[in-house]
Amino acid sequence: MAATKHPPHNASRTKPESAGKRLLREHKEVAVRSWRRLWLSPLANLLTWLTLAIAITLPASLLLLLSQAQHLGQQLNQEHQMSVFLVPHATLEQGQLLSQEILARPDIANVTYISAAQALASFKTNSGLADILGSLTDNPLPATLLIAPENTAQTPQAMSQLTQQLRQLTLVDQVLVNMAWLDRLHAILAASQRVTYSLAFLLALGVLLVVGNTVRLQIESRKQEILVIKLVGGTDAYLRRPFLYAGFWAGLFAALLAWIIIQLGVSYLHEPLLQLAQSYQSPWQLQGLGWVGSLMLLATSCSLSLLGASLAVGRQLRLIEPQ
Amino acid sequence: MIEFQQVSKSYHDKHALVSANFHLQRGDMAFLTGHSGAGKSTLLKLIMLMERPTSGKVIVDRQDLSQLSRTQVPAHRRKIGLVFQNHQLLLDYSVFDNVALPLKISGYNERDSSRRVRAALDKVGLLDKEKLSPSVLSSGEQQRIGIARAIVNKPKLILADEPTGNLDPALSAEVMRLFQQFNQVGVSVLIASHDLNLIQRLPHPVIQLNQGQLSGPFAMAGH
Repeated sequence: MAATKHPPHNASRTKPESAGKRLLREHKEVAVRSWRRLWLSPLANLLTWLTLAIAITLPASLLLLLSQAQHLGQQLNQEHQMSVFLVPHATLEQGQLLSQEILARPDIANVTYISAAQALASFKTNSGLADILGSLTDNPLPATLLIAPENTAQTPQAMSQLTQQLRQLTLVDQVLVNMAWLDRLHAILAASQRVTYSLAFLLALGVLLVVGNTVRLQIESRKQEILVIKLVGGTDAYLRRPFLYAGFWAGLFAALLAWIIIQLGVSYLHEPLLQLAQSYQSPWQLQGLGWVGSLMLLATSCSLSLLGASLAVGRQLRLIEPQ
Repeated sequence: MIEFQQVSKSYHDKHALVSANFHLQRGDMAFLTGHSGAGKSTLLKLIMLMERPTSGKVIVDRQDLSQLSRTQVPAHRRKIGLVFQNHQLLLDYSVFDNVALPLKISGYNERDSSRRVRAALDKVGLLDKEKLSPSVLSSGEQQRIGIARAIVNKPKLILADEPTGNLDPALSAEVMRLFQQFNQVGVSVLIASHDLNLIQRLPHPVIQLNQGQLSGPFAMAGH
């Protein structure tokens, strides 16, 4: 027979492979094979990836907006100062001493002391009432401390506690802080955070179901192959692998598509949001996904898809048994 | 190599196998006959662990199969070369890849794998067809590909379920000659077949199954 044309090889010539090396080689083979399989039905795959990408884009872009809104909130908070009006008889030295004492507190970031004279001078230039004010014999304005609390002390509770403590100081006449504004900002951010998290949770479930269903259909269409592999002794791990890789690739492509959609959206919104921020004299701008954000998007998408695939594949493969 | 001890298998009320005892020694070749529905497939499925017996003990290669858990089934199946009546080839795989499947599963590398695949294809005389799809081959050739796949892993035991069911007498005889060759190099072979004409001309013992009951030379405990 043809055997003479193919001299038998010496089997002992090949060195035995280590288990780790073998596993790595097998994974590489499956990765390549499942990658090639993707391009056998590119349109169907593209549709799946787009579905996944949209499901990922929604919560991801909301999270992006939310985190930047929180940034904006913090920026505004930093500028947000409490005004502490001192009693009229407080001297310049007393005012400066008090300002240093308050600055020494751990929850205070910055204190600016404005003496009664400075306040009057500033009011004269800004109000256009210089003539009337000039006719006054007494300065009607009190000395003021403008206080910026630390970021950590900007919760509504901490702020009201701080206000109470400042009011008890003997030199302090009045403390003004726009608590309602602060409360509202915190409430809005907290509510949007919960809405976003709920949406993210639901859409993550959606991703699991979409990938799970896709993998289930793939398994169904390769039933014959799976049966034969089971009959010649393929392990569950061996059978699972190509479908897990298919899930991983779906996650990868969905992440790439979602990334493109988000970056396009950011550049589309950038201009109007910039104008809005500038109208408030804020340096805030809408940023795209940075390196960290992009990697998080990729990791989340891939691991969700992988999870969806593994949930479906474990169940589905057990249903296919040679009869 | 294969030992059945008081093995029964029922599906609902139907008794597919009743208190079957037989022992196929290492290196033996035997036929299993009986009309369809007599329990031939059940017996093979019990050996392949596609089914578990209702009672009794099946021992293959000194391993009591009832001791094997679900996760140990694949390793057990890799020890057995299985040939099907309808060959069970994958039509979107090439001939080469079909035969290479058991090796791929066992984790052989490309070089060792292709060497063994070529040797197996050479054995069944189809080395020149390795790149084709099985769908373009004749049924006799397809069956030989199925046999090449069964022997590529060098199993100690070959099971064949009606391997000549779709073949004409000349091709059937050829397929049987292949099994005899494997048997001559020490492989145990059990062939389920109802092709009595062919079986009677061959010098191998015949186990008969009739409504789930065994009779024949191996039907006692040992022979």
